[in-house]
Amino acid sequence: MPQASALSVPHLLGIKDLTAEDIRLILHTAATFKEVINRPIKKVPSLRDLTVANLFFEDSTRTRVSFELAEKRLSADIVNFSASSSSVKKGETLLDTVHNILSMKVDMIVMRHPAPGAPHFLAGRIPASIINAGDGTHEHPTQALLDAYSMQEQLGNLEGKKIAIFGDILHSRVALSNILCLRKLGAQVRVCGPPTLIPKYISSLGVEVSFNVEQSLRWCDIANILRIQLERQDIRYFPSLREYALYFGINKAMLDRIDKRIVIMHPGPINRGVEVTSEVADSEHSIILQQVENGVAVRMAVLYLLAGNR
Amino acid sequence: MDLLLRQVVVIDPASPAHQAAMDIHIQQGRIAAMAPSLAVDGAQVLEANGAWCCPGLLDFGVQSGDPGHEYREDLHSLSEAALAGGFTTLITFPNTNPPVHSKSEVAYLMRRQSELPVDIYPLGALSVECKGKDIAELMDMRAAGAIAFGDGLLPVQHAGLMMRGLQYVMAFDGIVVNHPTDQTLAAGGQLHEGHISAWLGMRGIPALAEELMVERDLRLLEYTGSRLHLVGLSAAGAVERVRQAKKAGLRVTASVAVMNLLFTDEALAGFDALYKVLPPLRSDDDREALIEGLLDGTIDFIFSNHVPLDTEVKDREFPYAAFGALGLQTALPALYTHLDERFSPTQIVHWLACRPREVFGLPVPRIAVEEPADLTVFDPRTEWTFQLADIRSKSANSPFVGQRMQGRVLGVIKGHRYRIFDRL
Repeated sequence: MPQASALSVPHLLGIKDLTAEDIRLILHTAATFKEVINRPIKKVPSLRDLTVANLFFEDSTRTRVSFELAEKRLSADIVNFSASSSSVKKGETLLDTVHNILSMKVDMIVMRHPAPGAPHFLAGRIPASIINAGDGTHEHPTQALLDAYSMQEQLGNLEGKKIAIFGDILHSRVALSNILCLRKLGAQVRVCGPPTLIPKYISSLGVEVSFNVEQSLRWCDIANILRIQLERQDIRYFPSLREYALYFGINKAMLDRIDKRIVIMHPGPINRGVEVTSEVADSEHSIILQQVENGVAVRMAVLYLLAGNR
Repeated sequence: MDLLLRQVVVIDPASPAHQAAMDIHIQQGRIAAMAPSLAVDGAQVLEANGAWCCPGLLDFGVQSGDPGHEYREDLHSLSEAALAGGFTTLITFPNTNPPVHSKSEVAYLMRRQSELPVDIYPLGALSVECKGKDIAELMDMRAAGAIAFGDGLLPVQHAGLMMRGLQYVMAFDGIVVNHPTDQTLAAGGQLHEGHISAWLGMRGIPALAEELMVERDLRLLEYTGSRLHLVGLSAAGAVERVRQAKKAGLRVTASVAVMNLLFTDEALAGFDALYKVLPPLRSDDDREALIEGLLDGTIDFIFSNHVPLDTEVKDREFPYAAFGALGLQTALPALYTHLDERFSPTQIVHWLACRPREVFGLPVPRIAVEEPADLTVFDPRTEWTFQLADIRSKSANSPFVGQRMQGRVLGVIKGHRYRIFDRL
């Protein structure tokens, strides 16, 4: 297949702005970088003259470390900023904070923010390239890309493959970005969870809806199990974690009853014993740690390609 | 004052000159003469060239910043925005700080009238501090000049309060106003619940939140036999319920905001917070039902839904941006620009000038000789672009900035006070 050589967008705000060609280009480029980071000398000079600011207005371990490593392996200069140690607590607005950082001549911004649309808000107002590292309940595009990359490693072309996403679909940016990305790559997607955690109009995105975990496991090739986001629930959408674990959690007995091998994924951090048991998360079905490894390669690809568009 | 409007087309079904081209001579705040052609020496002349001349517009449910948020809008900037939009009369919401919930706040607004070029009729709060709990001193506020009662932008959640409010105003055949939303269903909602809210990953405000509250209010109305105005319908199901209630003879009236007639939730697909308003912009089917509701009389009138907001609360990340948009200056031109094929000039004037006055028991100005002058001149042929510099409000949260408009207000005359904006 002829491969495009540049992205159609100046920012990575969400999967919704990418074409299928953009996604394939990112995944193809990530394969090259995955090879690079497995060499003894893991560093390339691609971003040597660029400064990247990692702005995390919301806590993150995995994503922040993953971006930082990706930036370092591309030889970028990095500034880190997190809300807990910053002037945000003193009441500074997002725009003021970012203008201040930009005055220090930053070329790219990687931002996580609790508000849906926050990176879009910035993109219209500042000159740097923006990578959305998660905006509230909206999108988490690099997670969806690394998930798609990891799925392709397992199944090859995702066209027609069956992917089920389990858990809190209502509050999950991972779910939305996964749905959009997988649909663009031609996969079949089903969401499964308690009805109160599934948006009423989700099927308008071209997905099936199910409330039955075991039946959805039987249906799918890959189970992507989401974290139950207690921190986003200002209202009780289900009675208790205990009941959730009992009726919507995924355990080994369930997988044993299914006579096919399905791949288990989770974007982390895992609530062990809630959405998934340790036995399943740590089993040979699970590719959770490969996802983390692929995250660095995919983020290198995104940074590299966006830098090329500057 | 001595003013000659040359060649206006009268749009006033109550006038003998309805739809006729006229010269109108206004002297000492009254229409002194009106004829197809008048020669008047020494008068200021407005060459209207076929512009409409209609009763001065009335806007219901205007949010003022005075007292408490004068940096968003004070009574002078509010009046200037009103005149620029063709409005001579305003019914204000009580959501100020302090809220308009006792006679002293009503009296303050009534007293300020003398210095303003528009008439203001305050809506008194239904509950103390608009908190939705205890009924406020409605009779005392009425005596001071309050025109009707409701908690304005805040929907009354408490069924008991709503019922007692409806009962209490029967003592003087008053009207209770509610903005029908069940806030437990709308909780955390940022926009209409539909495919756009799913696409943006945000909680929606279901149409059900409005429909359920409309149903509750209509049941309470049926029980009490009182009078109710439902402000700002946005959902097709709510329109249908009001239609049935009117058929059943309940004394209910309803209104719709300009933006809900023009736009849908698609306008929010790119996180444009200027379209983040309440009631929320809903689907195209809802929008169509609102238009149908106006055409068959289920919905009584249109209001601009004027909510001035400073940049600190509006120009922010989408979920943190407050709900609301400016409306006074753009209501008439925007309606004409977007809906001139659906609505006749007479209908637009009925919904923006005549019907709201009938609903709230105010006299409708008439364009006839010897009548006091209360009129708006609107030229439907002027094409222009609404710009930031045109905004008369202290706030700038208008989604219409940069948009092309068909039709412009040329002037407003209200008794001895008048304002001509163009071509004098």
